[in-house]
Amino acid sequence: MAAGGVFARRGVRLAAGLVAGALALTGCGGGDESGGEGEKITLTVATFSDFGYEPLVKDYMAAHPNVTIKLRVTEFDQHHKQLATRLGAGAGAADIEAVEEGYLPQFRQSKDKFVNLADFGAKDLAKQWLPWKWEQSLADGGNFVMGLGTDMGGLALCYRSDLFKAAGLPVERDQVSALWTGWDEYFAVGDRFVASGSKAKWFDGVGNIYQAMMNQTPYGYFDTADAYVGDSNPAVKTAFDKVAAVANKPGMSAKLDPFSQQWNVGFKQGTFATLPCPSWMLGLIKDGSGPENAGKWDIAKIPGNGGNWGGSFLTVPKQGKHAEEAYELAKFLTSPDAEAKIFQNVGSLPSQPETLKNPAVLGFKNEYFSNAPVGEIYAKSGETLQPNYRGTRDADVRPVFGRALARVEQGKQAPADAWTQALTEAGKALGK
Amino acid sequence: MRGRLDRHLTPYLFVAPFFVLFAVFGAYPLLATLWMSLHDWHLINGDGGFIGLANYSDLFADPDFWNALVNTLSLFVISTVPQLFIALGLAALLNTKLRGRTFWRAGVLVPNVVSVVAVALVFAQVFGRDFGIVNWLLGLVGLDPIDWPADVWSSHLAIAAIVTWRWTGYNALIYLAAMQAVPNDLYESARLDGASTWKAFWTVTVPMIRPTILFTTVVSTIGGLQLFAEPLLFESKGASTGTGGSDRQYQTITMYLYEKGFTLFDAGSAATIAWVLFLIVALFALINFAVVRRTVASR
Repeated sequence: MAAGGVFARRGVRLAAGLVAGALALTGCGGGDESGGEGEKITLTVATFSDFGYEPLVKDYMAAHPNVTIKLRVTEFDQHHKQLATRLGAGAGAADIEAVEEGYLPQFRQSKDKFVNLADFGAKDLAKQWLPWKWEQSLADGGNFVMGLGTDMGGLALCYRSDLFKAAGLPVERDQVSALWTGWDEYFAVGDRFVASGSKAKWFDGVGNIYQAMMNQTPYGYFDTADAYVGDSNPAVKTAFDKVAAVANKPGMSAKLDPFSQQWNVGFKQGTFATLPCPSWMLGLIKDGSGPENAGKWDIAKIPGNGGNWGGSFLTVPKQGKHAEEAYELAKFLTSPDAEAKIFQNVGSLPSQPETLKNPAVLGFKNEYFSNAPVGEIYAKSGETLQPNYRGTRDADVRPVFGRALARVEQGKQAPADAWTQALTEAGKALGK
Repeated sequence: MRGRLDRHLTPYLFVAPFFVLFAVFGAYPLLATLWMSLHDWHLINGDGGFIGLANYSDLFADPDFWNALVNTLSLFVISTVPQLFIALGLAALLNTKLRGRTFWRAGVLVPNVVSVVAVALVFAQVFGRDFGIVNWLLGLVGLDPIDWPADVWSSHLAIAAIVTWRWTGYNALIYLAAMQAVPNDLYESARLDGASTWKAFWTVTVPMIRPTILFTTVVSTIGGLQLFAEPLLFESKGASTGTGGSDRQYQTITMYLYEKGFTLFDAGSAATIAWVLFLIVALFALINFAVVRRTVASR
């Protein structure tokens, strides 16, 4: 074993020497300022959509000539499922793996497969993040730091101002925000919209509305002690009933599954007027709607409280060979400076108070969305939002309730029956 | 002495690659899966202890498993049976003196070489509720649009259409190859006896290629029981959990395996489903084999 290690290291050195030689020959060689052994290493960073890391990674490699960074981007679900199998197999995971907030509890059950970032002093960075974001990354009563926070998903409501105008509703974003404080009023405005005879539906589908509502509650299917309360928490029942009541109401829901191909077609064809939108969704809306709909979208306040939907963490799987270097890179990618740049590049909302006060973030406007001051809107939503606790087995239960609402939306079940079935299925998923 | 050893060893060395590959990619996974199915096995954390046959009894008590089994059989019947009949007809057409024969023969295989992802994406559009072609055609004759994924029958029809589209040409080419091996004098004597083309097809062609028909039946059975990619991709991207719709209306056994293993991280249950599926496939293969032997013997 030891002999193999020496041999391998010599192999690496040899390769490094060859690369250095080649660089010197082509005139690209640079001095090694980073100190240390100067051993050449490669770090892989796996994410599930454009995290805006490309320019940052270039900067990092320029400052650390011994480090080569490879970015690996996979689609959302696939990324997390691959990570799970690779952790199970004990090989193949990247040095840094992004894990989304909804998936984090599932991986917290397997924290042994991750490096405890507290070992590298991550706790000293705690104040960098909003307190709840930092909390989310912890396990073992705060002794284990699973990952460093990237963005977050402060909520707003995106709307089509041209469709609002045609329906006789106000179009200015402040006036639109003033139309509602809670979801009941939002649905009431929806009734007005439908009564105007608009061909478009009021919102995209029950999935997004329900998700937004649930994300405004302090906790959903599991209380903060991680006990299942899906059947007893009034917040769950209230949100479910509210959404179920409008799910199959004519003109209300365009009945589209979020993130599906049909959903994108819906954007392009303008089949719905509103949808809840965390900041990371702006890119999806823009891509789906296409250039022909530029300037038709705008952003108003979300009904109800501020809430969080999404946001990720950079974790370091144990199987990687360069845990400490990976941690240093993760620290750089989640630094306040980096988060500000990322926001301007790809619109991911920083999860750090300092960055949220950064003028470059605050003053940022989004041209596609009628020049909406997205920096101001989302920074405000980020500062006031109420974090939502996700239980360890949240991912086992959450889809069950979503499917129940889909059955109501498809006209296959009455709300009460859908609720009963959801409770049975949730119990079954938890082995009760 | 050495020569004798050589003579004894050489044949084994020649066949060794197969057995080595089979051991690594066939026997080992099979046994490892059996081992896992007897344990409480978490996908990431691994072995959680021996629990005997508990996974199996849980599975047989699980209505979702039976639902998936019925869905699989239903999809198998409505996609395989028409598929093989259409393939037979296509092969008969391709076997005639058609203009541009090679073009048509290559053409029928095209659906099979197109990536299944692309096929599923296209069909999701074709069967789209709001802007799909099928609903548009239904609208032309005054029918209401159908929400294809929403119900059992409509989702099964749509998925069967994808499977049929993809595999018909493949089977047609196999039939064609078999048809070309049918001696021509049989047709000549059929013609002399005054048989029509139709009659000759049923009394000469079909009996002559019966072993091939049985072969495609076996292969389609095994493929049909493992139906996965088409229904999974039919599920919208936003909810690719493997549940097959809001009420599991088109969840197949392999999708159920996927849901257990990769959505719920319950590798023990997933391994159990894999083994039960293996036994079901083996059973079907045995039945097919018996039928083959009987029909071959009867000739």
